[in-house]
Amino acid sequence: MKKVEVVIDSIYLSRVLDVLEKAGVSGYTVIKDALGKGERGIMAGDELTDVFKNSYVFTVCSEEVAQKIAESLRPLLKKVGGACLISDVLWLTH
Amino acid sequence: MGFELLLQNILNPPVLMFLLGLGAILLRTELEVPQPLPKLFSLYLLIAIGLHGGYELSKSGITFEVLKVLLLAMFMAVAVPVYAFFILRLRLDVYNAVAIAATYGSISAVTFITAGSFLNSLGQSYGGYMVAAMTLMESPAIVIGLVLLTLFARRNSNTGVNWGEVLREAFLNPSVYILMGTLLIGFLTGEKGWKAMDPLFGVLFKGMLAFFLLDMGIVAGRRIGEIRKVGLFLIAFGVLLPVFNALVGIFLAKTFGLAKGDAFMFSILCASASYIAVPAAMRLSVPEANPSLYVTMSLAITFPFNIAVGIPLYYFLINHLWG
Repeated sequence: MKKVEVVIDSIYLSRVLDVLEKAGVSGYTVIKDALGKGERGIMAGDELTDVFKNSYVFTVCSEEVAQKIAESLRPLLKKVGGACLISDVLWLTH
Repeated sequence: MGFELLLQNILNPPVLMFLLGLGAILLRTELEVPQPLPKLFSLYLLIAIGLHGGYELSKSGITFEVLKVLLLAMFMAVAVPVYAFFILRLRLDVYNAVAIAATYGSISAVTFITAGSFLNSLGQSYGGYMVAAMTLMESPAIVIGLVLLTLFARRNSNTGVNWGEVLREAFLNPSVYILMGTLLIGFLTGEKGWKAMDPLFGVLFKGMLAFFLLDMGIVAGRRIGEIRKVGLFLIAFGVLLPVFNALVGIFLAKTFGLAKGDAFMFSILCASASYIAVPAAMRLSVPEANPSLYVTMSLAITFPFNIAVGIPLYYFLINHLWG
């Protein structure tokens, strides 16, 4: 099994979730307020507009689905920044 | 400029609270307003100003005078981003020029509200339709910005603007929606409605504004460190363009015979820059632009400038011209 983690500007969260849905994941977890620092500077999350705020999404899926997600996310990440990590995991129960 | 006027503006609890918030960051205290609360305050302020504007509008009715003000507002909302864009293009790429031009073409509701509170402290008032003018001035800059973008930016076809999404963000963003809605509610319910709302949205208003400005001071303070990265050209732009816009606004107000209070509020609308509606829209539609430029400029340069110097300055000029 693969774990796909995505950190993205909050405003694009819905697009990432669309990609996950279309790739056919069975579920996902979202942490809406993810603060930190990246190539676009400090994301302090204190703006009224959430301009400087990231969101974090993770899901666990088969390798095939993970590949699909990676392909669909690449253009978005290239355009708006953010990160996508895919790693091997052990799913204890399902 | 009249020193008394400057003092009258600064010695206003909300403005002092803004400086208090700014000081908290500069002096490295741990002061912060818990995160969801500023959003509640901003919602509260928009509702209060909408309801009250609607009520005032129900008293005055929709007259020729009102339509004149609304048309002037629309005109400035379209004109400012266009000339701002061409000034910015002298130094910046198309993307950043579009984002900053749209930011300055739109308005800041909190600057408007603070100016209103200053006007009231002088025992003067403005027409409720100015709130309608403010609502009308929020969105056009976003659309103009994106028109400029499609005209001047050479983008790949797959990164084109999604117009449906952008128009939605421009005209149905939360602040425009809530202002329009409460303006309508205030207008429909009239005096009776306002009397019922007054204890929460009238009496407590100044205190809530002060609380909100404390947070604004903190947020602006956090961005002050970024000013150095913005560069001299944009710092000058952030101070001079608002003054220029206010002068254009005052000229138009005089030419078209606006009342004194309305002229003042109109000049404030022209001078202010958005840090809520536009940044959100620009992040979505012009991701190539750098938000630490346009947010820093509107929040850490133009907003404090307008609150501390702009308000008494524009009033001084108007007082001089209107007598």
